[in-house]
Amino acid sequence: MNLQVSGQTPPAPDAGSPAARARTWLAENLTDRLRTDRAHDTPATLQERIAFEKSLHAAGFAGITWPTAYAGHGLGLREHLEINREIGRAPAPNSVNSIGKELAGPIIMAVGNDSQKERFLPAILKMQEIWCQGFSEPGAGSDLAALRTRAERTAEGWRINGQKIWTSGASKSHRCLLLARTGTADERHKGLVLFAVPITAPGIDVREITSIDGQRSFCEVFFNDVIVDEADMLGAPDEGWAAATRVLSIERASNRMYRSWRFQSELEHLVAACRTDARARAIMQPYARQLAQIRVEVEMLKGLVETLVERLIAGEEIGPNGSFPKLYWSEAHQRFARIGLEIVSQFPPGVEGPLHDLRARMQDIYLSSRAETIYAGTTEIQLDIIAKRILNLKRAA
Amino acid sequence: MSMFDELDPKEFEDTARAVIETCAAATDTAARATLLAEAGLVGIIAPEAVGGLGLPIRFAVPIVSAAGAGLLAYPLIESILLARHLAPVAPTIASAIAAGESVASIAWNGCAEDGVVGGAPLGLDAAQVLVFLAGGGAALVLPGAGADIQPGAGLDVDAPDSSFTLTAAAPTALLDAEAVAALRADAALLRAGFVMGSAAQCLALAAEYAQERVQFGKPLSAYQVLRHRLSRDALAVESLRTGLTRALAEPAEGAAMAREAVWLAAAQIGPNVAESAIQVFGGMGFTWEVPLHRHLRQMHAQATYGAATAGLDALAADLLTDTNNEWYGDLANAG
Repeated sequence: MNLQVSGQTPPAPDAGSPAARARTWLAENLTDRLRTDRAHDTPATLQERIAFEKSLHAAGFAGITWPTAYAGHGLGLREHLEINREIGRAPAPNSVNSIGKELAGPIIMAVGNDSQKERFLPAILKMQEIWCQGFSEPGAGSDLAALRTRAERTAEGWRINGQKIWTSGASKSHRCLLLARTGTADERHKGLVLFAVPITAPGIDVREITSIDGQRSFCEVFFNDVIVDEADMLGAPDEGWAAATRVLSIERASNRMYRSWRFQSELEHLVAACRTDARARAIMQPYARQLAQIRVEVEMLKGLVETLVERLIAGEEIGPNGSFPKLYWSEAHQRFARIGLEIVSQFPPGVEGPLHDLRARMQDIYLSSRAETIYAGTTEIQLDIIAKRILNLKRAA
Repeated sequence: MSMFDELDPKEFEDTARAVIETCAAATDTAARATLLAEAGLVGIIAPEAVGGLGLPIRFAVPIVSAAGAGLLAYPLIESILLARHLAPVAPTIASAIAAGESVASIAWNGCAEDGVVGGAPLGLDAAQVLVFLAGGGAALVLPGAGADIQPGAGLDVDAPDSSFTLTAAAPTALLDAEAVAALRADAALLRAGFVMGSAAQCLALAAEYAQERVQFGKPLSAYQVLRHRLSRDALAVESLRTGLTRALAEPAEGAAMAREAVWLAAAQIGPNVAESAIQVFGGMGFTWEVPLHRHLRQMHAQATYGAATAGLDALAADLLTDTNNEWYGDLANAG
């Protein structure tokens, strides 16, 4: 029985639509050097990736919903979704500046003053300033409100002392979105304040952490009597945090919106590459039902994402509902990564071409996916949020 | 803007919930047929020419969802489908079904050429049963007249299924392959909606029980292991709800895939959530009295009627032989 469901080529987007332009642009500009589905002896350099992202923005495919006054493209979430579907379908690298574009930028738009918006926002989209996120600390991971980094107001400006960890990309960044406290740690959510700290400020020490995939993206960032200008405080003390968490709940639903489609394209890559070789096809065959299950999960993930986008477009509060797609995606993607790894691990030694490329990609996806159920709120935190804020389950009789 | 924009499918759900509650106390299948038809629920998507409301399928989904939640002892999915899809070829029969004057069912499993067909919910009470033909079409037959009825092998106790041995059944109406394909497409959405209602009800019962039942001085809902179990079930039910919303919106990137996926997901999620709820209820969950097993049974029955396992394999075969991403077009051609 041929259901003619997965095999149907989706209709090409309407000519002239943002999606159609994105599809054409990616086909022309995503070079072999940058493709993440190819094994590279020398990976694309940071400068090459920055240049690609610059041109992606210039072509209209980053900063889609940002106001034109700040170098954005002034379009809506629907166009953002349509363009991100195309970015997801393509083997494009993840953004070097996703913290700037998807976290710092929206927070600055929500709580920053006009001067800060002018200073920071265009520089993010133009890739002049790469941002990192200084939230987690050694003693404050899932329990973020336990953070201890201190910000004291002095005559010279704010004096910062403390340590951050899991600061992705800090060693490549120019600015750090720093969360610190003005009072004592027992005040929990009170007295937390946000800063845009230049990473070159005296007293900042950045050390890279090697992660299980061999990458050195994560960093520790030490702050030792770092002086931050009053003009780099985002929102008022005590006010910045509340606005930031509101932005964060939306971001959990909308960031890396291309993920479902990237997930699907990874599955399609796996199948297409295995089909080029009789041995690989035979290795893949016993996984057929599991792969079909994954294909179903990709569709369900699209439902979770698109429904939330529709709610955001309708102006509704989505509150804790962003936990649903994050939890679903991270776990389904890990299951896929495990299946993909099992398949490529059975390839005969010495395979070349498409199978060599596929093996490298699946190994990379498998290892890097282990972080997906940890970052941006662990699986356990998402389950706590659903239990507490969606099911409203009581804790005492 | 369509002409249906002023109508809210949610209102039909509220009506359906109330009627289905009344149905629980009705004496027999015929009485339930009357109650459901009087509320306009059976003919919801049937053309007005046969007494239906002529509404799009998205209006029927909340109704069958309420049927799943309310353990309705009536072949509502089958009646809704037949009232719509028989209308062009057998308007008299379709209008009798929509009016609740005639109970009809569909033998979902097997085809007439096998000699035995099964999986017909409440086939015992049906005046008409649709059976599928090997060529892709279907025939409406009269139970008893060359279609000998036997109890089925399924698990459902609220709308138990029947089998039929076909000897010399004379069809009263025929559907061609195209009509059957359209009926099956609607069926996938209605089944997914039915399972969503049933699974959501299991979750609601489990969440309620977990907050009432006290052990070691605390409600079960205070224990993280149970909170997380219920959160996972909530995610599963939410994925069905949003998956259905997406499938009903017929997304441009693939309406058929969206529909098939939500049905295949429902066939697994439904029993999973019911099993989980039984576990939360502990010993009580294993009793006949607590209705969770009836939900479990009816959702397994739906998975059987919709041949979910075969559907997943068909999707697998499709997935492994076709590629629709132009970034991998060169690889696909190389194979």
